[in-house]
Amino acid sequence: MNPTEELVDLLDLEQIDGDLFRGKQPESARARVYGGQVAAQALMAGIRTVPEEYAVHSLHSYFLLGGDYAVPIIYDVERIRDGRSFLTRRVVARQHGRPIYYQTLNFQKPEEGYEHQDLIPDVGAPETGFDLVEVMRKGGNDEADALGKEWGALDVRWLGNTRFGLESDDGHVSQARMWVRLKEGLGDDPRVHAAAFTYASDVSLLGSTLSVHDVNPSKTQMASLDHTIWFHRPFRADQWWLYDQWSPSAQGARGMAFGRIFTQDGTLVATAAQEGLIRPRRGGSEGPGVKE
Amino acid sequence: MPRDADELLALLDLEKLDDDLFRGNQMPTTRPMVFGGQIAAQSLVAASLTVEEPYVAHSLHSYFLQPGDPSVPTVYDVENLRDGRSFVTRRVIAQQHGRPIYAQTVNFQKAEDGFEHGESMPDVPGPDDSSVRPVSRKQQEELHADQWNVADIRFVGSSAQGLDEDPRHPGRQRVWLRVSSPLPDDQFWHRAAFTYLSDMTLIGAAMSPHGISFGKGDAFVASLDHAVWFHRPFRADEWWLYDQVSPSASAGRALVIARVFTQDGQLVASVAQEAVLRPRKGASS
Repeated sequence: MNPTEELVDLLDLEQIDGDLFRGKQPESARARVYGGQVAAQALMAGIRTVPEEYAVHSLHSYFLLGGDYAVPIIYDVERIRDGRSFLTRRVVARQHGRPIYYQTLNFQKPEEGYEHQDLIPDVGAPETGFDLVEVMRKGGNDEADALGKEWGALDVRWLGNTRFGLESDDGHVSQARMWVRLKEGLGDDPRVHAAAFTYASDVSLLGSTLSVHDVNPSKTQMASLDHTIWFHRPFRADQWWLYDQWSPSAQGARGMAFGRIFTQDGTLVATAAQEGLIRPRRGGSEGPGVKE
Repeated sequence: MPRDADELLALLDLEKLDDDLFRGNQMPTTRPMVFGGQIAAQSLVAASLTVEEPYVAHSLHSYFLQPGDPSVPTVYDVENLRDGRSFVTRRVIAQQHGRPIYAQTVNFQKAEDGFEHGESMPDVPGPDDSSVRPVSRKQQEELHADQWNVADIRFVGSSAQGLDEDPRHPGRQRVWLRVSSPLPDDQFWHRAAFTYLSDMTLIGAAMSPHGISFGKGDAFVASLDHAVWFHRPFRADEWWLYDQVSPSASAGRALVIARVFTQDGQLVASVAQEAVLRPRKGASS
């Protein structure tokens, strides 16, 4: 299997009972579970419990405990609401009898209404970007190669951040931009595209909180605290999308980040939000979330 | 509905039924459903009552599930999701008539230091500037019944009127807000009161590019979710700028993201809300 097929395989959960699922673990080069994997598997668990005419339009989640990469993750889905227009599901990801992640997601039957969207910023084409893993390696990130292996399904072209190559835009003090896509084709199921995007959305968002700070991310303890996505319009995760990320605030060892996701034709297709723990690494301290 | 800080505090002062179980009162309202900000604020209070110092609420995420019934109290059932060393997490289910009407998750942190940055406040006229339009109590009551009476609201402008056109963001709105009379000093009450007020005016930013508004009754609006990130301590009873951008509307939904600045220019909170925003046509909604 190529890395994209491996990702699709990770998203193909085993159904244990009606609303109970089990997700495989990948072969990880790092002794941890990647948060985007848990978010994407939880999303798939939620999706499996709703009729196909309802599409996911938002998810809100908290990371509670670091995942154990040595055992599968159980996803337990609770049906919070079955309305006419909207359905709501709560998914608890658990290991060793304890919740490690908790996601609530909302589904909607398609309808039409008012239309507007932010304008895509003026950025270079994907071909003008730099390979993210290469950028991390040159930046002295000790974990670049391990992360590159973990995110092997993703093609990420870095366009710059606040300290390197990106001019401040729109009053933002800390920004990072990149083009992203899955390396190989994902097929045509829109639910797989939503899940693959969810997987990718956790790769770099928290990093934008450090764009303005002169620190080495591998010397900084970073852990996602929450993760939120609003899906505005359908799109393919295996075709280039711009991840326009900015951090309005950092304080109290926490950093806040938002991301807008545009397809190459300028359509705003999703918005993401994440708060994370960012603290200078001290010996022996452990993080609260999925990333150590 | 609350007309001043004292009445708001009374509404937020929950009755403890059992460990992790609370009851929130209603106040008389002319509206058929409970104001979302009230449910969000009462939930935050319920969660906070189960958490000991020194942990302080720094974020909440929530979904509105059913319209609240203003004729009966709301029961808040708190579940303990995590008691960590640095972080504590609670989930609150608000229920009436045996059904969940609202689900909120709240995260608390023990204070520590770290990296610091914050976006600057945009250049806007202050709340007392002659160009800034106070929204009178009478207007508020006409627009939103009586549930907004606890707020002083001054309208700076929106994409429809008063703000310069910004092609990057077609849906914008800026409003000064505060609780209309003084609150106690404890930050606990300021976070709760802010959460109450944070559900006001937001969707106006999404309506502004479409020639619709709350008052005209030409659109159906219902909050779907509500998230607040508290960055820095601040007083909800002193003016704060609610700087709102709606990045997207589509498929009968609209998203609004807002920054909250104190008058001295500090970024103190971020808010996000998605809502149903539908043209009101005939009988269908």
